[in-house]
Amino acid sequence: MRIPFRVVFEQRGETPRRLSFLVPLASVFAALFFGALFLLATGYSPIGTYTNMFRDGFASFNGITDTLALSTVLICTGISAAFAFQMNLYNIGGEGQLYLGLIGGAWAGIALGDHLPTLIMVPVVLLCGALAGAAWIFVPAFVRSRLGTSEIVSTLLLTYIAASLIKHVIYTPGSFFRNPNTSFPQGRMVADSASLESFGSSRLYPTFFVALIIAGALYWVVKRTEFGYRINVISDSPRAAHYAGINARRTTVWVMLISGALSGLAGAMLIVGPYGKIEPSIITLGYGYAGIVVAALARNNLGLIIVSGILFSGLRVGGNNLQVTTDTPIHIGVMLQGAILLFALGGEAFRRYHIHVVRTHDASSKKAPA
Amino acid sequence: MSNTSHEVAQGPHHNSGAASTALSAHSIDKKFPGVLANDSVDFDVRAGEVHTLLGENGAGKSTLAAVLCGLYQPDAGYLMRNGKRINLSSPRAGLQHGIAMVHQHFRLVERFTVSENVILGSRDLPFKLNRREINEKVAAVAESYGLPIDPDATVGDLSVGQRQRVEIVKALYQGAEILLLDEPTAVLVPSEVEKLFENVHAMTAAGKSIVFISHKLGEVVEISDRVTVLRNGRVTGHVSGRGTTDTKELARLMVGRDIELNAQRATHAIGHEVLQIRNLSLSIDDVAVLTDISFNVHAGEMVGVAGVAGNGQRELADTIAGLISPTSGSVGISGAMTTDCGPVQAREVGLAYVPEDRLGMGLVPSMSILDNLLLTRDRKLVVDRVSVRPEASRLIEQFEIKANGPDHLARKLSGGNAQKVLLARELSGGRSATKLLVVCSPTRGLDVGAIETVRRLLNDARSAGQAILLISEDLDEVLSLSDRVLVLYRGSVVHETPGETAQLSQVGAAMAGLAAEGRS
Ligand SMILES: Nc1ncnc2c1ncn2[C@@H]1O[C@H](COP(=O)(O)OP(=O)(O)OP(=O)(O)O)[C@@H](O)[C@H]1O
Ligand SMILES: [Mg+2]
Repeated sequence: MRIPFRVVFEQRGETPRRLSFLVPLASVFAALFFGALFLLATGYSPIGTYTNMFRDGFASFNGITDTLALSTVLICTGISAAFAFQMNLYNIGGEGQLYLGLIGGAWAGIALGDHLPTLIMVPVVLLCGALAGAAWIFVPAFVRSRLGTSEIVSTLLLTYIAASLIKHVIYTPGSFFRNPNTSFPQGRMVADSASLESFGSSRLYPTFFVALIIAGALYWVVKRTEFGYRINVISDSPRAAHYAGINARRTTVWVMLISGALSGLAGAMLIVGPYGKIEPSIITLGYGYAGIVVAALARNNLGLIIVSGILFSGLRVGGNNLQVTTDTPIHIGVMLQGAILLFALGGEAFRRYHIHVVRTHDASSKKAPA
Repeated sequence: MSNTSHEVAQGPHHNSGAASTALSAHSIDKKFPGVLANDSVDFDVRAGEVHTLLGENGAGKSTLAAVLCGLYQPDAGYLMRNGKRINLSSPRAGLQHGIAMVHQHFRLVERFTVSENVILGSRDLPFKLNRREINEKVAAVAESYGLPIDPDATVGDLSVGQRQRVEIVKALYQGAEILLLDEPTAVLVPSEVEKLFENVHAMTAAGKSIVFISHKLGEVVEISDRVTVLRNGRVTGHVSGRGTTDTKELARLMVGRDIELNAQRATHAIGHEVLQIRNLSLSIDDVAVLTDISFNVHAGEMVGVAGVAGNGQRELADTIAGLISPTSGSVGISGAMTTDCGPVQAREVGLAYVPEDRLGMGLVPSMSILDNLLLTRDRKLVVDRVSVRPEASRLIEQFEIKANGPDHLARKLSGGNAQKVLLARELSGGRSATKLLVVCSPTRGLDVGAIETVRRLLNDARSAGQAILLISEDLDEVLSLSDRVLVLYRGSVVHETPGETAQLSQVGAAMAGLAAEGRS
């Protein structure tokens, strides 16, 4: 049996510049369209649903502040992913590094007690979270740089272990991280000095600005510093790096450690912000994985992560509110997120390749709508 | 020297009078940001002829070839194939019309084997590949065109010359009727060029057409039925008829003035030893690549290393540059032992190195000219691009690099201009004043004007007291520039002779492994 046609990918000689921003935009719309089909099939109005989503995600006080609050975390996990991806290091274990950030941050917040002022305490908690995230990726980074072991597999496996670790520290009676005063398993609250106040009646914390500053700083590092220069050389041509005496192994380890630290930082931001303790439900939220989508949407461009992080957060907040404000199932929001990732990655193919449909039996080739 | 004797294969030349136009381009415009790479270009190639595109670096030859094969779409103008208008939306469409291009920069997957690369992109491959069958087919195609190659070799392990061969085999395998060869001979040694030309004659005799691009005027005179000269994207001259022109005239047509390539070997004082190589041996995966090499290069001396590609030249250069640690023996640069020190240390004691491979090793394709200039320099913690910018502009001017400025990306440069960027960086000193210059095939891909400039710069560097190791497959270049010539064969120095009295026949014989007992 033969299929009468075939889709052929052919590398473009040159990428038209307009495709660079049209494609990500189009992938969001394509995902929305895809979601609309599902909504129609299940008997909901796409227009009504999307209007609600937009209102709840962006166009109301609670909506926009919740969106920015969520984006605080997703910008961090997004840069974490993009920073490693741009050097072709596929750290997909940001999720696990985030859990460790939660644990590391909670440890500092509990262990150091109420002795230090908030101004010192909060940075210390954030730092401990970042260090814990970095520590969690150290082994994958080391074996990747020495032996070339796939970091995709190792970071992913460690995520499962990190999830067990979260459960362990909360569900084990007498655990340091467990609230000793309740029989119901709950995280122990960190010291007051390790908790920030949210803005007014919102759920937005000052950590949002920390995320913005870090995004800006890393962008600068990549564009302007020697370290960024090395990253650019290595990711483009490893042989040129060798020729120039750039130590690719060391840079690989550092890039992965920084990537892990950023995901850890995202976890610690939850500690000093909304959670104040280890919240075991974190393992159902997938903030680390969402960072991969945010990075893909921004095509690993650190300058665009803030935009894609906020956009994606808004879709998610709006999607989650659907169930509260209407009876639309929450899964529609989750499905949209997945669809966006798929379309963003698929869209990349349009940017880089000419896509043709070729009939296998006669020689004529037809151009697929690009 | 243009008339290198070479037997014409397969009988007399094809019926030139009655041949029909196989492919033509009409008023082609192709713009890139800041340049009009093709400016209403008319071009045609007939069945059974070799039509050469000639022009300075950045004149628009590769761009025109890319339009002819469907890689680029022209901004204006159109193509006709056998009298019918065609629209090529991609190289695949070009291939369906029997048009294939062998690119100046290789487009091979380094991790794949030769046959995997050759069949890559072929239509109608079965789901399950029969490796042995494919290998045999690839080897047969390669063999029948006189380009023997091991189908199972990994492309990443091949020398540049061998990779070029894979590219040619690939185009032939895909059944090209019109073959666009963009500087195919730049990486071939004379004997290989002869073979290629025999094959070109065989193909034209069979009615196929060749569009040929080369900067080597001798070759152009020898192989072309017609020549079209491009300059700044415009057609500025035609020569038709085999043997009706000579290299001098072509050079004049191209650059508008006379070119003197016979660099004089200035008499000058030779100083102390700068490069000292002692009993250098190198094995890679237990295969001996270099065997017991010892020689010196003195200040103010140019030593040429001749040899057929793949006899250890690349490894020798990489070892001197500190990129490879030798198995035994030592390398010293101006008194310092640099054997296992790495490239940065070697540069700090005065090394400059132009590697054989420009894009991907000597240059980072996705980075700008400016950033590429910084590649082998001392960069500060915060890269200071501002203070390097004027120097970048100056070098662009001095080397006549056709670019929009220091921010032009390396991969968007024409082949010759990329080579100029590499030379500009390495000849202009880096971490410290250059004492030893190791250059591999420095003039490959350069037009005659640029060759003249580069040879002058090399001579200037020598007069300024730098020690120069010139490694090149271009025997003429080695013989005409070097004070001393070494011949590398299978990783050993098999012949050594002063440049002035070097005999082409002797050096050639040594390169082929026919050296009389050892070295003098
Ligand atoms: N992708 C690109 N983007 C921008 N400019 C380009 C691109 N490709 C080529 N150019 C410019 O177009 C001009 C013509 O380039 P082309 O590669 O056709 O030159 P060429 O005649 O093949 O030169 P060479 O002999 O050096 O290979 C050059 O000025 C080059 O910088
Ligand atoms: Mg070219």
